[in-house]
Amino acid sequence: MNNILVVDDSPTMRRMVITSLGALRSVKSTQAGSGLEAIERLAIEPVDLMVLDLNMPDMHGMEVIDFVRKHQAYRDIPIVVLTTKGEESSRREALAKGANRYLTKPFDPRQLADVVSSLLKAN
Amino acid sequence: MDTPNPDNHGEFFDQFLDDYYAECDEHLVSIRRALVTLEDAGTVDRALLDNLFRSFHTLKGISGMVGLAAAEQLAHHLESYLRELRDGTLTLNKPGFEALVAGVSLLEGVINARRNDQSIPSIDEIAVRLQAVSSEQTTSEVAKNDVAPMRWLVEFTPTAELAERGVNVNSVRARLQELGQLVQAKPVVKGAGEIAFEFIVATDADETAFATFEADGLTFKPAPVEFVPQPRDTQPVPTIAPASVVRVDLDRLDELMRIIGELVISRTRLEDQLTELKRTTPPATWRSLQETSQSMGRQLRDLRESVMRVRMVQIGEIFERMTFVVRDLARESGKKIIVQLSGGETEIDKFLVERMMDPLMHLVRNAVSHGLETVAEREAQGKRSEGVLSLSAMTVGERIVIKIADDGRGIDRNVVVERARARGISQENSEIDDEALLDLICTPGFSTRDEADRESGRGVGMDVVKKATEELGGRVSLVTKVGEGTTFTIELPLTLAIAEALIVSVNGQRFAVPQSAVREVLEVESASTSVLENNEIISYRGKVLPLLRLARVFEMNYQRETSFHVLVLGEETNAVGLAVDRILGQREIVVRAIKDPLAQSKGIAGATELGDQRVVLILDTSALRQLAITSKH
Amino acid sequence: MEPFILFELAGTTYGVRSRFVQQIEMIEDAASVPNAHPAVEGVVLVRGQVIPALNLRTRFGFERIERDLRSRLVVINTGNRVVGLVVDTAREFLKIPAESIEPPPEALTGLSGHYLEGIATIGERMILILNLDAVLDLEYEVEPQISQMMTDGR
Repeated sequence: MNNILVVDDSPTMRRMVITSLGALRSVKSTQAGSGLEAIERLAIEPVDLMVLDLNMPDMHGMEVIDFVRKHQAYRDIPIVVLTTKGEESSRREALAKGANRYLTKPFDPRQLADVVSSLLKAN
Repeated sequence: MDTPNPDNHGEFFDQFLDDYYAECDEHLVSIRRALVTLEDAGTVDRALLDNLFRSFHTLKGISGMVGLAAAEQLAHHLESYLRELRDGTLTLNKPGFEALVAGVSLLEGVINARRNDQSIPSIDEIAVRLQAVSSEQTTSEVAKNDVAPMRWLVEFTPTAELAERGVNVNSVRARLQELGQLVQAKPVVKGAGEIAFEFIVATDADETAFATFEADGLTFKPAPVEFVPQPRDTQPVPTIAPASVVRVDLDRLDELMRIIGELVISRTRLEDQLTELKRTTPPATWRSLQETSQSMGRQLRDLRESVMRVRMVQIGEIFERMTFVVRDLARESGKKIIVQLSGGETEIDKFLVERMMDPLMHLVRNAVSHGLETVAEREAQGKRSEGVLSLSAMTVGERIVIKIADDGRGIDRNVVVERARARGISQENSEIDDEALLDLICTPGFSTRDEADRESGRGVGMDVVKKATEELGGRVSLVTKVGEGTTFTIELPLTLAIAEALIVSVNGQRFAVPQSAVREVLEVESASTSVLENNEIISYRGKVLPLLRLARVFEMNYQRETSFHVLVLGEETNAVGLAVDRILGQREIVVRAIKDPLAQSKGIAGATELGDQRVVLILDTSALRQLAITSKH
Repeated sequence: MEPFILFELAGTTYGVRSRFVQQIEMIEDAASVPNAHPAVEGVVLVRGQVIPALNLRTRFGFERIERDLRSRLVVINTGNRVVGLVVDTAREFLKIPAESIEPPPEALTGLSGHYLEGIATIGERMILILNLDAVLDLEYEVEPQISQMMTDGR
């Protein structure tokens, strides 16, 4: 059973992501409403993939990627970044910091499911 | 025109519309609150601006997801403007503020238009306005947050056990924010690779404030003096701490209430059966059964009250929304209005809030648009230039009484009567009392002005106000005086579900009378009644008490008994005695509404069932009193 | 082909689309509602809801009869309204093809026959398909003669 951590400060957005991934087999999800909460989740339970929003109140998504990639135990967790249109300049930065994939909102639910599924398989 | 975004996979995201609207509402309320603070305060607080920025950013994102392009774009413009304000490249000035307010109102309007399936208003004008204010370049000083004297470094290592106890990064952050100003919150990696969080909090409190921390796995020490500022976008800004709140579907609460209702009935049935057992059971056994049943009764009552409390919200929330609306209207019309609030902590069932929000809002809008005069008109009358709108709430027994009062023009009876006549609604003359006046105003098809202003489009008129209130088992009443003002009073039952009631028998039929309506119960001999002006009366506490016989009001057959009971209903000044043949007992009943018009009747407030599957009608005592007055044959 | 619930009233068979039928119950005594329309027997409790019990005999102008073991309450849920119909008996469930349903004869619709959606003929049998909205709307008076006409024809 793969545990997917969905990180976004909007509860509606989190629900949308979780529902998009609903059809995937052997997958369950956990939610976090901020960067700090996401890192806390990592500390407490095993996480197999993160779907991460960039623009969040306490800790920017980029910092979360930074932190995660610098940590031995979490270095290899696949990260899919979701962010609003018009911030594509951060695309290169996110990928450079170690995000695996980058999708813009509004996202295609099937595409998200495909991306997540293929990242999980590869690991 | 809002054309659907071909990229938006509309159908998939439609299932989230309810969540979307709920989240929009939350953001809009906090945006409104922030705008009011900005308007009132002299200085500009950067944290506030950042919160505003963040709200617009989120609204932009989720509006894009559900395909509401107008909202997405408008939120985008607002977000851009806020970014500049927050970063200090622009100062907030009057035209800017007004553009902001107009933008937010329009955003609300766009979302509501989608919600109500109406055509989406154009955002072009506001978009241009916002871009215009954004392009002014002025340097400014952003108010810096004061740095409190002493800083502490608090370290928190999360674990699964702590999380289970509710000690997690959010709750720790909330606690620290209560102590003082949270200056930093970041994750760190400790020696063996575990993750911990470091918080720097600036507070005047001394060490004792941190006393409970150790027990929760937190350590603290004075913070090192140098403090490395982080890059701008990620500067930790003290946000409003997310309280431990759970969002619950009202449906789930309704289900809980329904189940509790069934439990109440089952327990009542149990009591009845126990009574029957008394004869044939050894006393000690019976007594212990009885005790168990009674403690269950108490526990049920506690359970019921707890669930009710979950459903209760403070009416202050509605009052707050009303205040925003009043400010908007006042600004637009140039009137000066002071809003006086009282009783905002009064709690009211959330269900009632949802049903009454629009009607109450309508009354407020009326008061501001039609009731209160302009500054010039008021001064000409010798009134203070600011109009006063007072919103108050209080509980009286099992009812909540909400008053919306203005000190404006008052309602002119003559105008109303004329209009009613012109519309063929009624032939009354101008001598009508307040109650009849209210009836006229609430007749469908009546309106006191040609509606070209905003209120009309929302489908709420005075007739809807009356209907919505009465459907909930409530009452509307009105007091008005020309030149002095108008007060609308809305009474609603506090609890919809369960009430104490007296079960009575009248002409062979059982009825339930809500306990809260009964002031006293009397036993009366037929011989002691007299007749005064075609009404039966008895003597009660030195005064005359008119009797009300259901048989007359409900057109049933009746026989006179030699003695009967009287339930005294109403206040001192207008008490009435309801004559009943027998009192069968006092019970807790589950109140059920009668929704279908075929079975609705004036004088009947609802129905209940006493455990034997047979329906017992609940009397509407205030309606009965009115009926008694009108049916004097 | 649509499923219908059939019930009897004064010797005539009526049908309603089964998707509008929430349940069929034996009748309990209804609590009489003061000042209600004479066809409303009272209210009953069904699934926690208080609903009116409409006596169809009275509604259609037939004489009322004593309740017996065969009398039933057909609980109708049209989406907007939930109302119970008191009928002589209700036991049948039948699928009726759309082609078998004819609109009611002109002569009838002219005289407030709007309470009928149509008439289904299955072999020798005539089933009157009810227009529930009209039946439940007490503004529509149902002419006794119409009901009589329908039963006279058999």
